Amino acid sequence: MSDQAGFSRRRFLQASGLLAASAPALAAESVRPEASGKGEGGVPPAFARLLRKADLPAPRGARVVVVGAGWSGLSMAKYLKLQNPDFDVVLVDRQASFTSLPLSNPWLVGEISMDFLCHSFFDAARNHGYLFLQATVLGLDREARRVFTDAGVIGYDYLVLAPGIDYDYERIGVEDPVEQQLLAQRYPGGFVNASELLTIRRKIQQFRGGTFLLTVPDGDYRCSAAPYERACTMAAWFKHNGLPAKILLLDMNNEIKIMKDGFARAFSELYGDYIEYLPSSLISSVDVAGRTVSTEFDDYRFDDAVIYPPIRGARMLEEAGIMNPHSPEKTANTDPFRYHVIGDERVYVTGDSRSQPFSRGGHTANSEARYVAEVIAGHALGREVAWRSPQTMCFSAIDIRPMRAISLITFYRYDEVKKDFAFDRTHAVEQWDEVGGRASVAWAEGLFQDMFYE
Amino acid sequence: MKGRFFLLLSGLLLLSGAWADAPAKMKIVLEFQPDPLNGRKVFDVCARCHMPEAWGNEDGTYPQLAGQHATVLLRQLMEIRTGQRANALMRPFVQERTLGGYQNLVDVVAYISRLPMDPAYIRGPWSEGTPEYDKGRQIYTAHCAACHGPEGEGNAQGAVPRLQGQHYPYTRRQAIAIKRGQRRADLAMQAVVSQLDEHELELALNYVSQLEVPKTDLAPTPNWRNPDFK
Ligand SMILES: Cc1cc2nc3c(=O)[nH]c(=O)nc-3n(C[C@H](O)[C@H](O)[C@H](O)COP(=O)(O)OP(=O)(O)OC[C@H]3O[C@@H](n4cnc5c(N)ncnc54)[C@H](O)[C@@H]3O)c2cc1C
Ligand code: HEC
Ligand code: HEC
Repeated sequence: MSDQAGFSRRRFLQASGLLAASAPALAAESVRPEASGKGEGGVPPAFARLLRKADLPAPRGARVVVVGAGWSGLSMAKYLKLQNPDFDVVLVDRQASFTSLPLSNPWLVGEISMDFLCHSFFDAARNHGYLFLQATVLGLDREARRVFTDAGVIGYDYLVLAPGIDYDYERIGVEDPVEQQLLAQRYPGGFVNASELLTIRRKIQQFRGGTFLLTVPDGDYRCSAAPYERACTMAAWFKHNGLPAKILLLDMNNEIKIMKDGFARAFSELYGDYIEYLPSSLISSVDVAGRTVSTEFDDYRFDDAVIYPPIRGARMLEEAGIMNPHSPEKTANTDPFRYHVIGDERVYVTGDSRSQPFSRGGHTANSEARYVAEVIAGHALGREVAWRSPQTMCFSAIDIRPMRAISLITFYRYDEVKKDFAFDRTHAVEQWDEVGGRASVAWAEGLFQDMFYE
Repeated sequence: MKGRFFLLLSGLLLLSGAWADAPAKMKIVLEFQPDPLNGRKVFDVCARCHMPEAWGNEDGTYPQLAGQHATVLLRQLMEIRTGQRANALMRPFVQERTLGGYQNLVDVVAYISRLPMDPAYIRGPWSEGTPEYDKGRQIYTAHCAACHGPEGEGNAQGAVPRLQGQHYPYTRRQAIAIKRGQRRADLAMQAVVSQLDEHELELALNYVSQLEVPKTDLAPTPNWRNPDFK
């Protein structure tokens, strides 16, 4: 990544690394702009801002910085404060406000309003007694316990990284970063941010017929059910509006990954004329200009598409040097029970960028946070906290007008023999109904209430 | 379930017109005959979190609801509904628009209270014969038994929860939350727990967690699955 001035992010990080070596006591001190001004080291004045202390009140207790105000970071910040009111918690996100991805599929087809999905970080911070800072995190200095952001440097006693995911386009054969950008904007996956959602909604509303291609990535992608849910809600929209549209659902897995009975029945009973489901479709390349997705065996031309590629832990983790190179989803190298980076009990990784194979969901992140907050509070007091399982809950709308949905809840246990986590008890309701539809709204409402308001 | 449920709604009813300056205190008593069959239907949405057996889980994030007195469940649901009891995740599920009116509330608690209990409920760390167990018995008998019963059986009429058979991590978490003022509870109960320290509460709850639940209230095995969910 290079900007006009020819300054690469890598160089900036190196610069901040150098700084780390020369000024170890920076955490509480600001760096005087003139010390890093132009001339010396070639840092232009605009960058001085990056190197001074962020505009935050002096910490009034052990400072815990939480990076990423998604489902995980919001829950972490709240429960850290509850576990230890003396913690001085700062929640950092590059975005100005929160837009929920859960329930976005019903929103795409007009079942619920954007108001319902959008919430203010200021409300969350005020109601739970922590600080919010809008800033992009650029790098870490774990030695001196500092976070570098575009709003300045923040020192920490504990750091929680909850930056979510990035797309891993290389896994569908799109390697050139410029091609990746193009693909991400032309055919966004809709699993990371609100702009993607707005674009997809417009695509659906403007679609007049033909082939609409959707993909299901392989690996441990974010929210196993959501790509199938999206196929159903879009098919419902086309069907209710009488459009001559065909959804081509290319699944990189060899079968439906979750709630298979429910989705398979919906595909055949409700949407036989609308959804063509193609499992084992390992995508090997995408031709953006030619509107074609290719697998080893076939080429699929489309009129429009939403291309959800495989995912990886946010790039930030790799840049911070804490990625586990052996993990398929490029997640951080952390302790599976205590969530801290191996060898560093001051830095924790939670949410969708965690290393454990728990299903990547907002509910998982919220229930996990209640435990991890206790672990961190316990660490500060030298107290052990027994491991407990997060829980995954997911709701999937199958039909609209009125919304009818299916749902699943699952817990995890640690398998001592396989030395890995496995699904424990699960309860799935795979017959769609209006009770499920209302329950999905109630579910999201409860979580928003928890993360933002009480 | 032969019992009936009474809901007391009391409050100030403001009257207009000539009586505007003389508002009278009014009490409305409603009476419902529970219908567990309808309760099963209503329970469907609860099971999406509490699972079809309503047994809770061993780490205490969910309580064992099965076998709890219906009056206790009803009171808890009402308190969660109104927000008197903090439970952000569950509250939207027990509103009138999602759960329906009082009849549905009464039906669902009648259904849950008749479910057989998890025989593998989680007990505290100190078994019979240890000094901690004995100390816990003393504390429990002196401070808790009057309301929760000598066997932890609770009191249906007074809507005092049955503690026997409840997972120890759950009762421990709740009692500590009540002590710290994080969960509002019955004032008398609150007064009692505030006199004891957290370890004493643990000991008392350890004792009650070691008590046996009558066999007739338990499911035959921990592998029993609620047949209503085929
Ligand atoms: C269509 C759809 C349906 C879904 N349905 C469900 C469901 O029914 N149930 C369920 O439980 N889950 C569901 N999910 C999944 C859920 O959205 C994710 O699991 C959840 O968002 C993960 O939370 P997180 O905090 O780890 O990541 P995110 O919510 O993505 O948050 C990460 C945050 O970090 C910020 N960030 C990243 N890098 C930086 C940086 N360098 N500096 C500053 N900030 C940064 C980002 O701006 C973002 O706000 C669904 C997802 C989708 C897309
Ligand atoms: C979104 C998940 C969810 C749903 C749906 C849900 N509950 Fe709960 N419920 C919980 C959780 C979590 C707790 C434990 C809260 C705590 O620890 O304070 C709980 C607690 C309770 C309690 C309090 C128990 C006690 O000992 O204090 C009762 C009673 C209860 N639930 C009944 C129900 C009923 C009846 C329904 C259906 C109408 C229902 N719940 C639906 C999550 C849920
Ligand atoms: C004055 C009567 C009284 C006494 C004495 C009393 N309790 Fe309670 N207790 C209650 C009532 C009533 C509730 C239900 C409160 C509510 O839901 O608001 C309750 C609730 C509880 C709960 C929560 C149960 C649940 O399912 O949510 C626990 C745990 C508990 N009591 C433990 C104890 C212990 C331990 C003692 C003794 C140290 C004790 N209580 C003494 C009346 C009492």
